[in-house]
Amino acid sequence: MTFVPIDVLVQGGQLFARLEQATASASVVVFKDILPLALIPPIFLYLGSLQFGWQIGAEDVIRLNQATLLMISVCYFLALLLGFIGLAILLRWMAPTYAATLEMSRHLTLVATVATPMVVGSIAHLYPHVFVNMLAIIPVLIWSMFLLYRGLPIVLRTTPQQGMLMASSLIGIVLVAAVTLLGITVVLWTHGFGPSLGL
Amino acid sequence: MPDPNVYNDRVVTVLVVLSLVWAIAGMGAGVFIAAELVWPTIDLGQEWLSYGRLRTLHTNGVIFGFGVSALMATAFYSVQRTSHVPLFAPKLAWFCCIAWNLAVLLGGISLLAGWTSGKEYAELEWPFDIGITIVWLAFAVVFFGTIANRKVKAIYVSNWFYGALIIVIAMLHVVNSMAIPITIGKSYSLFAGAQDAIVQWWYGHNAVGFLLTGGFLGMLYYFLPKHADRPIWSYRLSIVAFWAFTYSYIWAGPHHLHYNAIPEWVQSLGMVMSIILLAPSWATMVNGVMTVAGAWEKLKTDPALKFIVLALAFYGLATFEGPMLSIKSVNVVSHFTDWTVGHVHSGALGWNAMITFGTFYFLVPRLVGAALYSVRLANIHFWLALAGTMLYVLSMWGAGVSQGLLWLSLDELGELSYGFRDIMASMTPYYALRFVAGAIFLSGAILMFYNFVKTMENRTTVVRRIPDVTTARSAVEAVA
Ligand code: HEM
Repeated sequence: MTFVPIDVLVQGGQLFARLEQATASASVVVFKDILPLALIPPIFLYLGSLQFGWQIGAEDVIRLNQATLLMISVCYFLALLLGFIGLAILLRWMAPTYAATLEMSRHLTLVATVATPMVVGSIAHLYPHVFVNMLAIIPVLIWSMFLLYRGLPIVLRTTPQQGMLMASSLIGIVLVAAVTLLGITVVLWTHGFGPSLGL
Repeated sequence: MPDPNVYNDRVVTVLVVLSLVWAIAGMGAGVFIAAELVWPTIDLGQEWLSYGRLRTLHTNGVIFGFGVSALMATAFYSVQRTSHVPLFAPKLAWFCCIAWNLAVLLGGISLLAGWTSGKEYAELEWPFDIGITIVWLAFAVVFFGTIANRKVKAIYVSNWFYGALIIVIAMLHVVNSMAIPITIGKSYSLFAGAQDAIVQWWYGHNAVGFLLTGGFLGMLYYFLPKHADRPIWSYRLSIVAFWAFTYSYIWAGPHHLHYNAIPEWVQSLGMVMSIILLAPSWATMVNGVMTVAGAWEKLKTDPALKFIVLALAFYGLATFEGPMLSIKSVNVVSHFTDWTVGHVHSGALGWNAMITFGTFYFLVPRLVGAALYSVRLANIHFWLALAGTMLYVLSMWGAGVSQGLLWLSLDELGELSYGFRDIMASMTPYYALRFVAGAIFLSGAILMFYNFVKTMENRTTVVRRIPDVTTARSAVEAVA
């Protein structure tokens, strides 16, 4: 039995060979790997915000009451869960173009692998200060990208060259999705949902 | 008497080298001003090291030094190959190369000395404006003269983009630079108030459109099929996208002036045309992605193709983000924040710089007839470029969205909650991350520079004969 998040942390050079061998079904991967990964950052966020409060900038610390905080953490969890599964679906959709496997469990495994460093980095949420979280992003992002480019062809069983193309397409799509989310958030703000802005 | 049977490639080599020098200098200035936003006192009290002056040096250095030199080099290289003739008026091509770079160099010094017209990307004062016009006309003569001499009937699509670059930039530059000189180093715009703003952003946005986008698409359309060793996925789509792009871009400028003192309908027109622009932009991206997808084996042997793949991904991001930011209800928050700067650099680093790197890794070994000194260094460069761009974009998204929120936040009394100084002070973490991102990106460019110096060491530009045109023509007609 493999636990992707643990393997990523302890397996080093053996990692991809092990993942290549993995045989779990898609639903097992979701429960065993994806679910825990999606749970950890919201828990860190909850604890950190309760303890210290968020510091976005401009002096004051934002302290939310426990109920709001709980709601935000649950939304965060759901967003991560849907995001991870959505990414796996997206990968599968691209798979024929790059001659990769169609097995959903493998796509999910890849997502779990790439997400692990980010989840580890989310330990910075325990001290929710923007600077600390920004510092954490640098190594974590580089590590994740390395796992994506290195791991994709092996886990999804395609050539390194097609894997490179597929990984780059994924980065493009993720960035577009991220900026779309930012855009939607901002439009909601300007239409009166969320913080009160002087518009 | 120049030999009519060989290509003029020496001027291309020199332009490539100059472009590389500007890349290092311009991005170096970028990293330095990024540092100034974290540690403001590193200007050491010197006016010429102050943020305001170095920022214009950065933008002019990268756009006109690095970008235009690269565009001239690749235009001269590809127009000869696609026309099967040497350059028309090769001496004039040398004039373009030397005079352009001299203008950017002296112009840069004048910016440091405090000369500026105050118009973004058109800061250089009137003596330079006149000089630039002359060089640009010479560029047009060389380019269109070569096309007129061509031995192949069809004008390949890359030449349409380079041609549009030359014509449109000439038009924009001449109109926007019209001014009344007061002294040698100071002039006042011929336009006033809101008109001046509209003319300026008609210029500014189309400089982005026809230079940083259109010109570099010329590069893409010539060098991508060369790398991939197969024709572009859909030639018809590339032509349709060209005309759609040209017609819609020219109207998009007013999106820089949302909620300003220009007529409401002009703003809305700018917004609508910006949204329409998404279609030709993504058509081009799909065309590129499908061309590479069919040629993936090439990635085994060609370290440069990777840069082009990534350039396409960031081109897709930037051309999606731009139309989105021009929607007024997004722009009201994003304007005057670092989100714009992040958007600019996902294009500038991810698209312009990346595609130029990919092209140069292809071009330099061919120009001097040697293998690339180190494929390993090129691969390391790829990782540094990717990491630098990603971190840059993420830091500016974070900074921009929190700024947007903080600028507009109201307290219980309905007053603005935060002052400018408080907000700027809270940006330090993001700016520090951007500084690191820029330093990573720059170090990649320095590795590339070293790699090319080693590749070119003790070599000169190879003289290449122009291949027989009948075989070439039948090849082109077979594709058409
Ligand atoms: C090492 C890489 C780079 C770094 C660290 C960097 C840094 C910066 C900084 C600090 C600014 C000023 C932002 C502000 O005033 O708030 C800026 C502006 C700008 N840079 Fe760069 N830059 C880099 C590369 C490039 C490249 C390669 C290009 C173009 C090809 C470019 C084009 C621009 C433009 C057009 C602006 C003006 C943006 C605006 O007014 O909104 N930069 N850059």
